[in-house]
Amino acid sequence: MLNQIFVKPFVDMVSAPDFLLQVVWEGLVSGVLYALIALGFVLIYKSSRIFNFAQGIMVVFAALTLVGLHENGVPALLALPLTLVVMYLLAMAIERVVLRPLVNQPDIILFMATIGITLFLVGFGELIFGGENKVMITEQLGIPTGSYTFEPWGGLLILEQKDITAVIGAIVLVLALLLFLNRSKMGRAIRALGDDHQAALSVGISLSTIWVLVWFIAGIIALATGIVWGARAGVSFALEVIAYKALPVLMLGGLESVSGAIIGGLMIGILEKLFEIYWGQPLMGGNTETWFAFVLALFVLLFRPQGLFGERIIERV
Amino acid sequence: MIKLTRMAAMATVLAVGTAMYSPAAFAQDSIYVPNLSYRTGPFAATGIPLMNGQRDYVMMLNARDGGVGGVKLDYDECETGYSTEKGVECYEKTKDKAVVTQPWSTGITLQVLPKTNVDKIPILAPGYGFSPMADGKIFQWAFNPPAGYWDAASMILEYLSGGDMASLKGKKIAFLHLDHPYGKEPIPLFEAMAKKYGFTFLPIPVGLKEMQNQSAQWLQIRRERPDNVIMWGWGAMNAGAITEAVKTKYPMDKFIGIWWSGSDDDMLTVGEAGKGYKSISWSQPQPDSQAMADIKKYVIDAGNSLVENPDVDTKKVFYQRGIVISMILVEGIKAAQEHFGVKAVNAEQVRWGLENLDMNAETLAALGATGMVPPFKTSCGNHTGHSGAWMLEWDGAKFVPVSDLLQADQSAIEPLIEQKAKEYAEANAPWPVNNDCKE
Amino acid sequence: MLYRTAGQFKTSYKADHALFPVRQDAVLLWIIVFLAVVVFPLTASEFTFQALLIPVLIYSLAALGLNILTGYAGQLSLGTAAFMGVGAYATYKLITIFPEMNLLAAILLSGFFSAAVGAAFGLPSLRIKGFYLAIATLAAQFFLVWLFEKWAWLYNYNASGAIQVPNIDFFGIRVAGPTAKSIVQYYFVLGVVALMTALSINLTRGRIGRIWKAVRDMDIAAELVGINLMKAKLLAFAVSSYICGVAGALFVFLWRGAAEPNLFDIPLSFRILFIAIIGGLGSVMGNFLGALLIVALPVVINTIPDALGLDIGAAPLEHINTMIVGGLIIFFLIVEPLGLARLWQIIREKFIIWPFPH
Repeated sequence: MLNQIFVKPFVDMVSAPDFLLQVVWEGLVSGVLYALIALGFVLIYKSSRIFNFAQGIMVVFAALTLVGLHENGVPALLALPLTLVVMYLLAMAIERVVLRPLVNQPDIILFMATIGITLFLVGFGELIFGGENKVMITEQLGIPTGSYTFEPWGGLLILEQKDITAVIGAIVLVLALLLFLNRSKMGRAIRALGDDHQAALSVGISLSTIWVLVWFIAGIIALATGIVWGARAGVSFALEVIAYKALPVLMLGGLESVSGAIIGGLMIGILEKLFEIYWGQPLMGGNTETWFAFVLALFVLLFRPQGLFGERIIERV
Repeated sequence: MIKLTRMAAMATVLAVGTAMYSPAAFAQDSIYVPNLSYRTGPFAATGIPLMNGQRDYVMMLNARDGGVGGVKLDYDECETGYSTEKGVECYEKTKDKAVVTQPWSTGITLQVLPKTNVDKIPILAPGYGFSPMADGKIFQWAFNPPAGYWDAASMILEYLSGGDMASLKGKKIAFLHLDHPYGKEPIPLFEAMAKKYGFTFLPIPVGLKEMQNQSAQWLQIRRERPDNVIMWGWGAMNAGAITEAVKTKYPMDKFIGIWWSGSDDDMLTVGEAGKGYKSISWSQPQPDSQAMADIKKYVIDAGNSLVENPDVDTKKVFYQRGIVISMILVEGIKAAQEHFGVKAVNAEQVRWGLENLDMNAETLAALGATGMVPPFKTSCGNHTGHSGAWMLEWDGAKFVPVSDLLQADQSAIEPLIEQKAKEYAEANAPWPVNNDCKE
Repeated sequence: MLYRTAGQFKTSYKADHALFPVRQDAVLLWIIVFLAVVVFPLTASEFTFQALLIPVLIYSLAALGLNILTGYAGQLSLGTAAFMGVGAYATYKLITIFPEMNLLAAILLSGFFSAAVGAAFGLPSLRIKGFYLAIATLAAQFFLVWLFEKWAWLYNYNASGAIQVPNIDFFGIRVAGPTAKSIVQYYFVLGVVALMTALSINLTRGRIGRIWKAVRDMDIAAELVGINLMKAKLLAFAVSSYICGVAGALFVFLWRGAAEPNLFDIPLSFRILFIAIIGGLGSVMGNFLGALLIVALPVVINTIPDALGLDIGAAPLEHINTMIVGGLIIFFLIVEPLGLARLWQIIREKFIIWPFPH
């Protein structure tokens, strides 16, 4: 038994390095997606202290809008900006209808409100787009669909072009976002709001403008996630569950740290895949990915309550 | 103040109204056939075409013949979203006047199975549900014609072996399944067969949350290098698995799915790349049949169908399977009408009808449905009919049959059905058994 | 008028601390009890029992369990359904291992398993707070549901992986299993829920309840005045999980009749969280109001088109239903973030001074 836990998995890893590489790559790609979703959470949390549970459904909603527009005859490259317009309208509607009346309510109330948004969007989305599994318009958007095959150490390593595109796209998106947050005026305003609400308000930062903006950025991230994930497995409401995968990333990386979300996402993506393949499947009947990330994050939190990159919380009476 | 009082008043009315609510009384000028549909949720992709087919066939009969035997069919859907909880709620809601219950998910079937004994309503679960339901002596109220999951498992293995089961010896067969009662159904039979014929059986579960992200499962398949992969998937899981199979370059012709994993819509995601994928099926699309022509004439052209693109969607396997399912139900109703000489049959009479189904070649021809389903016959001891099935293959654009009618090895299935049915009855003692049935 | 409190004098300290210091409240309670014990069972149809009365009671109990943890002790939990699952599976194992065991005893006993598991998963609450803790409880949610799937011993190696409730008699009356009468199940559930509610009311307004409230309002301050945080938090987790476990056992044995593991997955947890929050955190009565709203509303909405003679398909109806529930949650949060219980309080206060404005 001990041998199976502590020795055999590592022997397996070394004896088939190409397979190990493939596992790590798969984990990395999932990790990028987790990081993207987590990033949506972090942005909103940082600027408004709202734990936005609706990020998952926003991914589905954005992807469905894109595909739905295309199905109705809108060319792909026009559907993309149109979808962004829809996401902007959604951000505005959420700010006006939900957030504004709930300013200053306790965290848990706002959290519940985002679950309300989730339910509403699920119903609304299914009513408009129907519940069928849809095909992401990968080719029309110019995303390559082939794959590269390598043979390291006489083995086999398959890298999908769309996964590579996803990774590159995510990196570009994150860099653009960091640049925006750190260099632009609006970006600074967002960060200021995150640091101290009242101080930010008193120097003339408009709360509602920033909130709309932040939800819109979250919408852009959602669309990017939706395209990438949809290209892998089709677009349907079952996608919504991937929101849960971002939660342990948030625990690990800290609710307020952009870099935490990214590093946490990648870490969880890779580690859960390694654990599933080398320990979960042989020893525990598989499907450990549902909980591994949570348990890992739990252990980390026991030692670092603010997460790996979160800001230290100082409490005063 | 006024606002608050009004709200309070509304709340009270709502509360009292709900407490007093009970389904309205009904008139006996129609036969009520509810369907516990799932057009929403993660499994909607599988559900929608099936429900459309079921609905359109009944609509066609109502429009063409004025129903069955002169009585209109009142087809009604109660949406479950494949959730067991909603399903039971729907069952309770419809059972007062329903002549049949069509639960659709294995989970809901298991839940309502014991209740139907008490409420005396037949369950019709064509090609799904609980395999031991075939034993009509014990499961008096449950029917899963024309073939059960264990039939499917046996036929798939037979197809893989090319007729000689001994050739499976030493092979490794992976079983990719939904981690849900449905996906676990065939495992006992596979295990028994593995022991008997000496192949390695490797179950690979896919969690409900992993349906769209099966990279771990397919990495495992890559590592284990099984000779064949058999899939028991539902809804979004099918498309997920086929995409991953294409990605990992698993040879498509070694990949076989159950009949619920053979939906055209799932394959369209991969298109050409899915060429060679197979699915066993007890139904086959016959777009040129008389039944289809009538549906087009009376329902689709009349604008009464919910199908989005009639030209394409009505040719798909799942839509036409939905038609067959309604056909089986209607034949049961017909048989009951003839036997009892009553027009508006009740649930108990429909039970008799489903137990005495005879879907032979002539009946099918008369229905204009030749080749849509293999001929089969049910009896009091055999609630499945074990019709056999065809192997369909994806040719890049549609499913085409690639085998003759396959038959399951009943000598392996029967003892298992008997054993599991008995176990079930014992675990739920006292369980009513039909001792009059002498088969 | 109806709620005039003038003339009701308290002559002792004890009377002032009674559960219902205002006479009308007690009268109202008796009316509700009369409705629940006599009127509803006499008038309800089978459907009303199965789709409304029994689930409302069970969901209220589960929400009560969550409310003790979240509303009284201030620890947000998203793992309620998993703790309910522990109760259900524990009852199932107890009943199948000891078939002679009294069902009530098995259900009450199974709560202790749930309490132990709950306390174990409550350990992180000593270090982490707020949303971090909420996500940590999700670890319990996902891990336990996975365990229910994989640990075949739990469901007696049943091929389908589901548990099926056998026929069980309770002092000679069939209470569980397919042949049990709804009315009997209703009374059984009502009895257990009433017992648990009475216990919780007394627990939350006593010493322990006050400790929890202190921890909720500011745990560091509570610690400084000499409250043992570890004891208080873990006790809250244990008591909460105990009640959830009992609710879970009732859920499966007295209502559903069978269960598969993913029944206890996260949507159920959220549903119960809705009930607790819409009902009102930190209130016992709120759970019942919330459950009434969340359980009954979709059932009622589903019957509206039929009643109006509208022909909306089953699927669009379900979508609209989801939308309305989502919209209502937002609506109630905006109108009264403190929940239905607070709304009732406001109405009651208005009644007391009615017809005068102040």
